[in-house]
Formats: sequence, C-alpha cells, structure tokens
Amino acid sequence: MPKGFLLERNASDAIKELVRALIEKGLVGGAVLPVRLPTGDNYAFVFTRDEETISSSAPISPVMPVQGARVLSKLTKKQPLSKAAVAVLKPCEVRASIELAKINQLDRNSFVFVSFDCPGVYSLKSYRENPDGVEAAFSEECSSFSLSNPRPLCAVCEDFTGEFADIEVQFVGIKGTKVVAKTEKGLSFLKEIGWDQQIDDEDREEIKKIKEERLKARQAFKEEFGSMVDSPEKLLDVLSSCINCHNCRSVCPICFCRECFFDSTALRVPPHLYLERARRKGGLRFMPDTLLFHLGRMNHMSLSCVSCGMCEDACPNMVPVGRLFSLVSERTRAIFGYKPGRDINEPIPYLEFREEELEEYEVPYFEARE
Amino acid sequence: MSEFEPKIVGFLCYWCSYTAADLAGISRLKYPPNIRIVRVMCSSRVDPVFILKALLDGADGVLVAGCKPGDCHYQKGNYYARRRVALTKKLLESVGLEPERVMLSWIPASEAPKFAEVVKEFTERIKKLGPNPVKGEVFV
Repeated sequence: MPKGFLLERNASDAIKELVRALIEKGLVGGAVLPVRLPTGDNYAFVFTRDEETISSSAPISPVMPVQGARVLSKLTKKQPLSKAAVAVLKPCEVRASIELAKINQLDRNSFVFVSFDCPGVYSLKSYRENPDGVEAAFSEECSSFSLSNPRPLCAVCEDFTGEFADIEVQFVGIKGTKVVAKTEKGLSFLKEIGWDQQIDDEDREEIKKIKEERLKARQAFKEEFGSMVDSPEKLLDVLSSCINCHNCRSVCPICFCRECFFDSTALRVPPHLYLERARRKGGLRFMPDTLLFHLGRMNHMSLSCVSCGMCEDACPNMVPVGRLFSLVSERTRAIFGYKPGRDINEPIPYLEFREEELEEYEVPYFEARE
Repeated sequence: MSEFEPKIVGFLCYWCSYTAADLAGISRLKYPPNIRIVRVMCSSRVDPVFILKALLDGADGVLVAGCKPGDCHYQKGNYYARRRVALTKKLLESVGLEPERVMLSWIPASEAPKFAEVVKEFTERIKKLGPNPVKGEVFV
C-alpha cells in the first residue's frame, strides 16, 4: 500500500505546501524550484528557503529555461550539501539528475526529488512572443493536461509522471492532489511531516490512456522524422540552418565536460589542412565540421539522452536537433537495452562490459573470412 | 581504366596488432598498400569521433584493431573499444552512412599472416563498396 497524503488543493499549491512544511520542520536546508522573474518574460530556478519566494514560485512552469539537473550539478559537483535540499523537478530533469549522479557530477543524497505529472512545456520562443497568452493558456491546459502548442518532444514524451523521484505529486484524474512516497527516503521525509497515511492505490486509468496516445504519437514521429534523416544528404538538409554555435551542447545536462572534445586541441585544424581538404573535395563549406560535431556529440552522449528537448529550445535557428538526438538515442540504447535515469545502480553502458557480447560487430580473429 | 584504390585508415594497438603488422613487414608478407596505419597504445584510445572524422574527411574505410578479448595489455581496454565501435556502427546505420566501412578486428601479436589477411579482406570489401560518397561533398 503506498503511503502519502491527499490534499484538496491544486498541484502547484500542494507542492508549495510540501516544500514549506519540509523547511519549517528543519528537514531540508532549502528548496530548488522555478520562479517567474519580476519582468514577467522568463522563469529561473531559485535555491532559497525564503517563505515569500516559495509562496510566489511556480513549481509547474510553462517553460523550461534551464535543465534542473544542471542546476543541481552545479551545487553538488565537488561535495555534497551540508544539509539536504528539496528539488522540484520535471520528470526529464529527474532522469537527467540520476544520469549525472552515475558519473559523479551530482550528489544524489543531497536532494529529495519531488516530481509531478508533467503536461509538457511551451517553447521559449513562443513564450517570448506572447507571455501573457501562454500563461493564460497554460493554467487552463494544465488541468485538462493537453497543451495546445507544446514543444515537439513534449508531445511525444512517454515518461511524463514523477515515478522516478522520491516524492511523486499526482493530479491527473484525481480530485485534488495526491502526494505519494516513491522511495524509502521520500517516505521518511513524509513521515516527519505527518503526510504518511495509507492512500488508495488507484490504477491511474487516465495516465494509461494518455501514455497510449503518446506512444502512438511517438511511433508516428519516429517513422516520419526517421525518413527525413536516413541518408547523408537528407541529414545535411535537416542540419542546414545549423550555425555551429554549440548552444545545444551548452544547455544539455549530460554534456558536462569542462573542455569539450570539439573545442580541444585534438580537433583543432591548422589552415593548411583546410586548404588540402578544399583541394581534395573541389571546395569546402565554412564553418566546416558541422556534421562531425552533431554525429560526434551523438556518439558521446546518446546513451544518456533523456529527450528533455532543451537543445532544440535553445537553438537560435530552429534546427530539430532535439528530435534528431531523441530518435538516434533510442536506436543506440536498444543495443544494450538501456534506459537513462531509470535506476541509479544501472551503470551507463560505456562504463561496463561483458566478456562475450556484440559479436555481430566484431570480426573474430580466427574468422577473417566471411 | 584505373581501378578505384581505396584509402583505409587503420588504428592499431601497439601491443598486439601493431606488433603483428611489424612482424608481417619483417616476414616480407604481402598485403595491400591502401592502409595508412596510426599507432595507438590501446584500442580503447580510439575515440569514436576519430572514426567519424576519418570517414567524413574522405577515408573509404576505417580499421580498428586490438588485442584479443581477455588479452588486452591494459586488461579491459579492448572490451570498452568493442562497445564504442558497436555504438558508432549503429549510429552510422541510423543516419544512412555505411557501417560496413568500419571494421573492428582482434589481431594477436604473433599472427602476422592474420594481419595480412584481415587487411586484404577489408581492402577487397571496400573496393566492392566503392568510394566514400561523402568524399566529394562540399557541404559536409
């Protein structure tokens, strides 16, 4: 029987009350959660324990200006927090945080993850064009759980519930809001504030229905987008408006390297080699190596891609890079049956091996002939 | 009509496959001159981006050769290399570039004839595949 608490408030207010209660009881030192900026045209994550900031925060924000996992990583990259903090994150941010914890970029024990049924978000550009319109639409569409103009990756997201967090906040198909403990840690925190009652183990039919629709949408996306990138010419067309700014890499939670391989001296090309290449090909496009950057980045991080879509949101030229990465990541992960962020004890496939595996990719030394 | 002579880049690990290549040279074994060898200390030194860069710069084939699994000089390197090359090949397959242009092979240090054979087989396979279509692409 799951344990938690049923509140007769909407999800945002329920989360705020949970955060307040945890701070008041001294169980956490502070909270990390989204807040609308005073100018009204953007949101930001704030690490705070101030009562007023928390009351005016927006736990379920209509846009995602920064990936929560990066925020948490910046706080705990070198050492854990002296006192745990509660982090209010979207499901994809929780999964990215668990991925970063696997590679020692984030201290899992410093945080209590609180996540919720995420309806998706609007793109940053559409928010900028009409902040008030998006706010009004979002508050209505959040309760009906169907956004009119979500980001493309949000529309095909199948992991939109807070099941991987310590405390899950459920509101779809429920009168009010249910706060449920999903891990021992979550349960111990809820117990301290008296929110550990037995609650109904409902089937969440609504969620199942929405998940089926999303899976269908994802299948259609894979076929349609897959056919747009299945040859080098088509791929170059899709990437044609890329200006090599590397914004997608800067906002990606998984790309944590202080010096990216693509900025390092390993790939620095002296001018005479550019001239050689131009001579060989009969011409050379500048800036070169755009395709190499994307394929290389895919190679380095596609196993951990959580399809959060920050890359596509941050791209100044609307290259569908998030969709490309999500598609390719699904295929590369299938080799190992790996799902990022599912279990902190499941190592990333690059970090382990089996003595005998993947024989179809190697030519055994005693069988050089096919 | 001159036949297509492929350019193949080979990443050979110092302790096993490079030594095999050395031995092949000393034993005067014949193998095609199309391969250009880059010596690395271990096959796991090969970042998948090297393979991608070689292919996008116009190489017709890439060979990554290391010690036999279980015999890596650094114990585990070739296991990781195997996973990386598998992922690279899957990635190439996903975007329509030919994964057959990348070959992973285990060549023990004493088996010089195997090295010559692997290079011969690979060169023939690449000749059949033809030149790399990305070679003449200005907009890559």
